[in-house]
Amino acid sequence: MHKYILRRLLMLIPVMLGVSFIVFTMMYITPGDPARMMLGETAAPEAVEQLRSELGLNDGFFTQYGRFIYNLVVHQDLGRSYKTNVPVMTEILGRFPTTLKLASLGVLVAVIIGIPTGIISATKQYSAFDNVSMVGALLGVSMPNFWQGIMLILLFAVYLGWLPASGFSTPKEMILPAITLGTSSAAIITRMTRSSMLEVIRQDYIRTARAKGQVESVITNRHALKNALIPIVTVVGLQFGYLLGGAVLTESIFSVPGLGRLMVDAISSKNYPVVQGGVLFIALTFSVVNLFVDILYAFLDPRIKSQYK
Amino acid sequence: MLKKKSFIILTSFLMIFTLMVTGCGGESQDAATESQPLIVAQRSDAVVLDPHANNDQASSRVMRQIYSNLINQNESMELEPGLAESWEAIDELTFEFNLRQGVKFHNGEELTANDVAFTLNRALGSSHVSHIVGAINPDGIVVVDPYTIRIATHEPFAPLLAHLAHTATGILNEKAVTEAGEDYSQSPVGTGPYKLSNWLVGETVELVIFEDYYDEANKAKIEKVVFKAIAEDGNRAIELETGGIDIAYDIIGTDVDRVANHSDLAMVRDMNLSTTYVGFNAEKEPFNDVRVRQAINYAVDMDLIVDVVYLGTGEPSRGPLGGNVWASNQNLKPYGYDVEKAKELMKEAGLENGFKTKIWTNQNQQRIDIAEILQNQLKDINIEAEVSIMDWGAYLDATAAGEHDMFILGWVTVTGDPDYGLYPLFHSKTHGDGGNRTFYTNERVNELLDLARVNVDPAIREAAYIEVQEIVRDEAPWIFTWTGEELTGIRDNVKGFKNHPAGHHKLWSVYFE
Repeated sequence: MHKYILRRLLMLIPVMLGVSFIVFTMMYITPGDPARMMLGETAAPEAVEQLRSELGLNDGFFTQYGRFIYNLVVHQDLGRSYKTNVPVMTEILGRFPTTLKLASLGVLVAVIIGIPTGIISATKQYSAFDNVSMVGALLGVSMPNFWQGIMLILLFAVYLGWLPASGFSTPKEMILPAITLGTSSAAIITRMTRSSMLEVIRQDYIRTARAKGQVESVITNRHALKNALIPIVTVVGLQFGYLLGGAVLTESIFSVPGLGRLMVDAISSKNYPVVQGGVLFIALTFSVVNLFVDILYAFLDPRIKSQYK
Repeated sequence: MLKKKSFIILTSFLMIFTLMVTGCGGESQDAATESQPLIVAQRSDAVVLDPHANNDQASSRVMRQIYSNLINQNESMELEPGLAESWEAIDELTFEFNLRQGVKFHNGEELTANDVAFTLNRALGSSHVSHIVGAINPDGIVVVDPYTIRIATHEPFAPLLAHLAHTATGILNEKAVTEAGEDYSQSPVGTGPYKLSNWLVGETVELVIFEDYYDEANKAKIEKVVFKAIAEDGNRAIELETGGIDIAYDIIGTDVDRVANHSDLAMVRDMNLSTTYVGFNAEKEPFNDVRVRQAINYAVDMDLIVDVVYLGTGEPSRGPLGGNVWASNQNLKPYGYDVEKAKELMKEAGLENGFKTKIWTNQNQQRIDIAEILQNQLKDINIEAEVSIMDWGAYLDATAAGEHDMFILGWVTVTGDPDYGLYPLFHSKTHGDGGNRTFYTNERVNELLDLARVNVDPAIREAAYIEVQEIVRDEAPWIFTWTGEELTGIRDNVKGFKNHPAGHHKLWSVYFE
């Protein structure tokens, strides 16, 4: 098991290198001079040239990329933001707690809604509850985040006046973004839980448990759910990893200063160091979450554990 | 055993989440202080709090409260003494400034002429703001004594005093900058009425009153000011309405009436220094023919554009400068919407059958809307226009290189002096990325702009600028489009707020009723 984890962690190195190379190349070949973009239409050509040389933009592709990798490996330095001159790591770490909170709350909302709804839907297949929740899940997946966010703001901030329309500092401010973010994940988790549970409850050992006179709730919660959990955990893990990369729309609507907005701003202003650092960081967290999910499988299913060598 | 394990894992997951949620709330609730803070929302957070590290509006709005300048520019764009009590022109290149004595920086240091010299030299080396101070000769910055400094320019430069009132020339403390090094932007030190208390990047900037502010009569009236970044335009209005904030900058057209008609809110509206224009490539056929440029000006219903795109805010431009800019020629006759006249001019130019062209814009919804309306209206004079939306960087590069036919851009004459709003845009020395992206050339305009730049006599300058605007209006290198407006929403218990045409509103005069 330890060897497996170590191997997976070592595999991150080529992945990160590949990611950084692809991102750097894409940023490099897209048109637009970062210095000109930063200084805007009012800047004199000399000023643009001065900034280009200060930022090292006159160097060739490989020199710039090599410098980035060298600083990262030797000095553990991701560089400074072109825009704010703040170290990229400081910018990312400044935003990450917010993104982590938002993603965690989103997943929490999704799990609280998704798993129980999925279980009930499966155990009462084709019942009114099942039908309503499946329609709800379809709506949840189909509803665009930004629209739902705006509707929630209208209802809870404007008409009812219960919750603030923006910010992410107080628990009250966190409610609407978390619900907005969690809804579509909840819908996915509901559907996954339902189909996974349906598959499991048709199996022989569940019938055996029933034949032995086991209470239905015990059969569902102890026997069925545990075996149905693997795909659910996978989906939850994927959703969490995805949300850690920043939920741009939700962040924008509720003015949440998370990683997503930082990245979008950086991409649109060709702020290379922040894009590079941000993508690497997101790739890393995504990979770590995936690894964590894989480790979790082993605890859920001993057969999988034996394969981890 | 395994059942238990998996449930323990799941439960711990949920517990960690819950702890995170509950763990993050307490701090900001405690933040409520005994005196009510003034909460001001703008579209984005400050990028930097170092005046030489960027020149964006959001940062300038915060820095206006932190730093003071040698000279202030009031809401009527008049120059007033700031850190300099008085000044005089020693010769045609040099001004001598007498500084106030006993002015304290936020770190307790006293302001001296050395700080002023240090600030200007530092600004000269900054690519972000060198265009504001570029006229100053670094060898001509001479400290006469601790409270007297001389500033000379390379050539006579009449708008110097207005440039010294720009937020980019806010005076820094040499010691604070040197000590903070590369991280100065996070710990700014000025002599302004407010000092930085806390900055949650991307979210809020908190300022607290500076008790030793030099101007006793104009000390801040509110203990704490919080700048909050609310990117969504609609949300700023909602937050204002629900009492989450006290002042909302940049209210958009769709929310203006709602704020104005709300019983607890008020709109503060004033014309600002910005203009939006559609530029032609005056070196390229057929736009090198003045009749074609004029015809297009006649073929466009500017009132419709202002109504549809800007929802009645701002006003159609008469010429290249808005009314708040000194020496702006408000007697210019707007082209007006006259399709018949446009057709006549096209016929004179031998283009009655029209031509195909491209209108470029960047990803700015209002500009895209303008381009689409233009595309539609130009059909009336047989011009088939294709709208092309480009990435900002590529857009600036391509328009600087003169690859365009027509393009849409904006300009802010932030110093309030016409030199800033005319020289870069219409002098042939500034073709391309110097600002003149229409590649317009007129020898008389060049001559007048040069004259008004070096001559300190206001009457001569004014006459020159009036003439430049007439020529530019007649030769139409632009479709004169829109002059912007500062649209600020305030709660009705907020008093003493005034819009500054440059958008850097002073908050130290604001108080709660």
